[in-house]
Amino acid sequence: MATKAANLSAVTPRPVKEETPLSIILRRFRKHRMAMISLGVILVVFIISMFAKQLAPFSADDLNVSNRFGAPGSVSADTGKVHVLGTDNIGRDYFSRLLYAGRISLTVAFLSVLVSELIGIVVGAIAGFYGGWIDSLLMRFVEFLLTIPSLPLLLIISSMLLRNPDLIPIPAPVLNILGKVMLLRPSDARQAVLIVLVLAGLGWLTAAQLMRGSILSLREQTFVEAARSLGASNGRIIFNHMIPNSMAPIIVDASLSLAGYIVAEASLSFLGFGIQDPIPTWGNMLSATQTYMYDRPWLPLIPGLPIFLCSLAFNYIGDGLRDALDPRLKT
Amino acid sequence: MKNKSMFVLALLVIASMVLAACQPQTIVQTQIVEVTKEVKVIETQVVEKTEVVEVEKKAFTTPDPILGDLRVRQAMAYCTNKKDLAKAGYPLLSDEDAAKLVMDTFIPKAHWAYAGDENVTIYPFDPAKGQALLEEAGWKLPEGASVRTKDDGSVLALKFYTTTAAFRQAWAAVWEKQMANCGIQILRSHVPSSWWFGDTTGLQVRDFQIGAFAWVGQADPGGQTLWACDQIPLPENNFTGQNYMGWCNPKADEAIKNANNTLIKEERIKWYTIVQQEYTKDVPAIPLFNRTETFSVNAKLEGFDPKPGEEYYTYNVEDWAIPGKDTIVLGLTQEPASLYTLVESGFTAVIAAQLMGFRSYTSLNYDFQPYWVKELSTIESGLASNNDVEVKEGDMVLDANGNPVALAAGVSVYDSTGQKVEFSGSPIKMKQLVVKYVARDDLKWQDGSPVTQADFELGYKVTCDKESGATTFITCDKTQDIKFDGLSYTVTWLPGSQDPLYFLAPYGYMPSKQPIESEGPYKGKTLADVAPKDMPTLYEVAERPWSSGPYILKDWVKGEKLVYEANPYFFKPVKTKNFVIAIVTPENAEAQLLTGAVDVLGSETLAGLDETLVKGEADGIVRNIVNAGATWEHIDFNLFVK
Amino acid sequence: MTSYLIRRVFQMILVILVSAAASYALLNFAPGGPMSGLRQITQNSRFRITEEDFARIRAYFELDLSVPIRFSRWLIGQPRGPIVIFGKELFANTPIGCYKEIQATVQDARGNFSVKTIGCSEYVYLKDLVGRRTSNGVLRGDFGNSWKLSRDRPVSNLLVSRLPKTIQLSGLAVLLSLIVGLPLGVYSALKQYSRFDYIFTTLAFMGSAMPTFFFGILAIMLFSIIPNRIGWFYLPAGSSVAVRDYAVPILGTVKANSPLDAALHLILPVLVLTIVSVSGWSRYVRGSMLEVLRQDYVRTARAKGLVERVVIAKHALRNALIPFVTIVVFTLPGIIGGAIITETIFSWPGMGRLYFLALGESDYPVAMAVLFLTAVLTVIATLLRDILYTLVDPRIRFS
Repeated sequence: MATKAANLSAVTPRPVKEETPLSIILRRFRKHRMAMISLGVILVVFIISMFAKQLAPFSADDLNVSNRFGAPGSVSADTGKVHVLGTDNIGRDYFSRLLYAGRISLTVAFLSVLVSELIGIVVGAIAGFYGGWIDSLLMRFVEFLLTIPSLPLLLIISSMLLRNPDLIPIPAPVLNILGKVMLLRPSDARQAVLIVLVLAGLGWLTAAQLMRGSILSLREQTFVEAARSLGASNGRIIFNHMIPNSMAPIIVDASLSLAGYIVAEASLSFLGFGIQDPIPTWGNMLSATQTYMYDRPWLPLIPGLPIFLCSLAFNYIGDGLRDALDPRLKT
Repeated sequence: MKNKSMFVLALLVIASMVLAACQPQTIVQTQIVEVTKEVKVIETQVVEKTEVVEVEKKAFTTPDPILGDLRVRQAMAYCTNKKDLAKAGYPLLSDEDAAKLVMDTFIPKAHWAYAGDENVTIYPFDPAKGQALLEEAGWKLPEGASVRTKDDGSVLALKFYTTTAAFRQAWAAVWEKQMANCGIQILRSHVPSSWWFGDTTGLQVRDFQIGAFAWVGQADPGGQTLWACDQIPLPENNFTGQNYMGWCNPKADEAIKNANNTLIKEERIKWYTIVQQEYTKDVPAIPLFNRTETFSVNAKLEGFDPKPGEEYYTYNVEDWAIPGKDTIVLGLTQEPASLYTLVESGFTAVIAAQLMGFRSYTSLNYDFQPYWVKELSTIESGLASNNDVEVKEGDMVLDANGNPVALAAGVSVYDSTGQKVEFSGSPIKMKQLVVKYVARDDLKWQDGSPVTQADFELGYKVTCDKESGATTFITCDKTQDIKFDGLSYTVTWLPGSQDPLYFLAPYGYMPSKQPIESEGPYKGKTLADVAPKDMPTLYEVAERPWSSGPYILKDWVKGEKLVYEANPYFFKPVKTKNFVIAIVTPENAEAQLLTGAVDVLGSETLAGLDETLVKGEADGIVRNIVNAGATWEHIDFNLFVK
Repeated sequence: MTSYLIRRVFQMILVILVSAAASYALLNFAPGGPMSGLRQITQNSRFRITEEDFARIRAYFELDLSVPIRFSRWLIGQPRGPIVIFGKELFANTPIGCYKEIQATVQDARGNFSVKTIGCSEYVYLKDLVGRRTSNGVLRGDFGNSWKLSRDRPVSNLLVSRLPKTIQLSGLAVLLSLIVGLPLGVYSALKQYSRFDYIFTTLAFMGSAMPTFFFGILAIMLFSIIPNRIGWFYLPAGSSVAVRDYAVPILGTVKANSPLDAALHLILPVLVLTIVSVSGWSRYVRGSMLEVLRQDYVRTARAKGLVERVVIAKHALRNALIPFVTIVVFTLPGIIGGAIITETIFSWPGMGRLYFLALGESDYPVAMAVLFLTAVLTVIATLLRDILYTLVDPRIRFS
């Protein structure tokens, strides 16, 4: 789909063997070496997180206060098992927590991206396609949300949601499923879902603006006019023609914001409004141990590493996708 | 309004009588009971609209199905290893130091009101005993299970709330595990303190099962609002009071009231012992440990000596010195909001104002010492007398609840023998305190002029002006009469006012001659001409008050620093010429101390000792001081469900 | 275009007003506020709050007036009393709020208790406003008095003390990011998939791959605490200027408040902010540069035989920069909002920190002032951006 516009304007005759758009994208993506490596890294992190329960030598909340600040590689006096990455300030196995945390952090990031891009696509498409007062209204609303510095707004929203968990009722089945995914009690999963809502609640603004931008220019393109002249309904034009053709920037944005959400979750934890302690996340492990930076630098560095790696990898993948999806980029 | 409520009341009574007439005799009894309760609600709330859902009459009267059982609470106390919790909260504490912080009752061991180990029930860490108690209470641990259950299928799982502070996250995680070892499942949530301590949320409306927070211990143990039966927050009283547990023990109730209604220390110790006995017997809460107060200062700083019981560690700032330096920098993490201490009593505002001499006393080691007064005005010193006076109908007195009221039939008061009596109309005898408060005669303002009687009169006038912006006027309302005489004044308190802290001067002094230079209607006049309602907004009052203390405020760069200079007219020599309060963020404070940008960080900034500070001390950069603090952590049980 | 501009300006004013009203409502209805905790303060022999005290303090913060009236007084400083027309006082007896509320505890269907206001026992009338202190209204440049942070003193004092510091920090960081980020982005676009591109891309991503606080703490440790301890040249750990003279190896004694002192204090926070924004911006420049380089007109220019340098400078760069300018424009409101985390880590007395404190302490006049300024700047930035859009892509029409 994405290459259609390019094909129309191409003057050179096409080779006989027709490539599907997907294979073209894949071929281009493969050219971006770092993106391919990143894909590998993400896959490894994924697999590790998926088998967190099987890989972790301890459970996430096993603790022994007398064994706090164990150095990496020290042996647990109770069980004789090795603390691969040592223990934290109350004697919990750092390695095990890191594995469990990965599952939660990644789930939160992916859910946030999913929710925010969906909202962004719908709002942006409607605004861009209909124009006029709908566009004005929606875009002024987006602007209004943008007028408020995002971090403080996140703080207000998250503090309101956290202090009153009944404000947004979340259906029990959703909590049960997500609890299973994140290896959490359903009551704890609620917290993660709330953070997703908070992050996505502001994250859709960029997606909406991107979507509106591309719809605005697509609206004038010939294939849309063709569809219209064939009598296609507005909904059909939006969902069958315009949205698929403007997915490129959205996919890129999604991959870049995955990186952003992992970091944002950590920043919220730093300011005391993120996911709270019994639930390990990379972000709250990092912010809880940042006071030990001077003396036990590995404590903040260890959870910092996966944040860094994942964020870097998602950025590369986004970069690779941008190059691969660009319709003007000739094969 | 009163008429309306009386009208509603009458209607209800009539309605209930009509209803009663239609009912069989046995039910009438309950009807009447309900009506009287309803009346209570109406008196406090003045309900006007009918569609409001009336409060259930039996709110918070059903004991918690799990915590209502004393054995469960005792078991939890036995299963709690308080020393480990202290160690989790303060990672660098040695075992002995951690053991010293452990608390067994609501008063720290070093305090004069502590009952003594032999007078309280102590629950040592003994999981076996705790588990046995749980078995006895019917909570069985099935083969292979990790959580205890009862035969009826109920599970021993409890909801536990506390704040998000890192310190609490650490010890709460450990406690959760300790309980799990006894087969008790703790469902822990860390909630924002704005919800937990909010006006109409969390603790105040008793929206918790188990909760943890800290009380600040003071030189005077007080405690009436914490342990008395009438201080239980309930829907009927719009959730006022701080007895969040809903603990009502008649013996303790009487004792805590008596302890706060006598001036004799021995008597007070006796009453406090009874409260502590009952408290540890009933276990409405598990006292855990004292917080530490950590200070870290420039290793060369001399004279810095914080004492337990005295919050304001700058009490002896005139003796501070760093050899070879003429400036001391104190790092505060919060900027004083205003130096007008009548409206702003935040910690940092008091610290900043106290450099200019605002307090009349200090409270080192939980006892009191005079500061700008000559001596404490105790009965023993002859400056105070506690007389018997006869009061009659219409006289203003302090009633048994501590509110100033005009004496009328039905008012409860304490009579001169200390008995609570209801006034019947005939005159009775009550105690009346007459206290003379005498200031030092060498008090001087920063321009060298002496403090005068006019300054004291202005202080009293402003403090008691309803438009001054002050929050409470109870002290003014309790003052029956005040007479000024040079640098002293004598207060005749309302009959019945038996404040245990009567010997501390209630009113301060203000610089009546301070010239007003800022633009506005008062330009060119002096402070004595300013209407009290304009004082909070006045530059000279809020930002540049005159000093009679060790330091004079020279400059205040908003958001950055307050710059002080030694006051040559202070009644003691001031050792260091310049003093600066630097505003730093908590996240940056330690780094500034270690690089020498600030010299002093107090316990309000430092959460506890950390390795950076310990290392800094080993390297000779800083000196760390750790005191057992007056603040103590505890776990409260909500004994009733709504 | 002119009619479009007029319409947009009208819309802008509307957005600002709606935004102000919404933030005002959000702050006012959010839990917390200056009355928080007042009833819970230990009621002892020296401190006791009566209902009368409570009502008086509420009135002190204007909380006894209804929100629209309060908002109007905040915005334009009106009403201040009965409306006078031809010497006649109108609406003097219109109730505009409630001095003493009747509260009752109600129980919802789930059994939770809450204290609710169910009526009013003493109303405030329009005539009661006479003599109450009030600001002249935000529209006339008066942000009123602070509630908490600088109690009863003008909010504008606080803004004036913080604004220069914030502009100093954010402005320098923006400038530095531009100087570093632009060439890096252009160069790595020209050398796409080269080793330089990969190395630089990795470095750029590192900037956004870790939370700001991590860089901040790391920077303080590496450039301040450790060198200080071993007696090397070190940078100040925080604050915008020193409060007293200090000695640094190599430079000797640095005078407090001197330009050198201020410069030393700026280095670390600017560095951290720059690391974060350079990465984002240079990536953006690289992206749009790549896009432009693939355009037909660039190919045409090359085909015409123009020197590569001219092609890049005259044709590609100019077109690639226009969308980038729109991004830069949008940092305008961000400057007011400040960089909360960087300011926190480095004790920088800026707007972000001020706003954060104002929210925490429920100092709504201060928080509202910051929000209002941000709203104004954002709306202006949006307009600038939309106008710039038309320059980039003439196909986009404003209708």
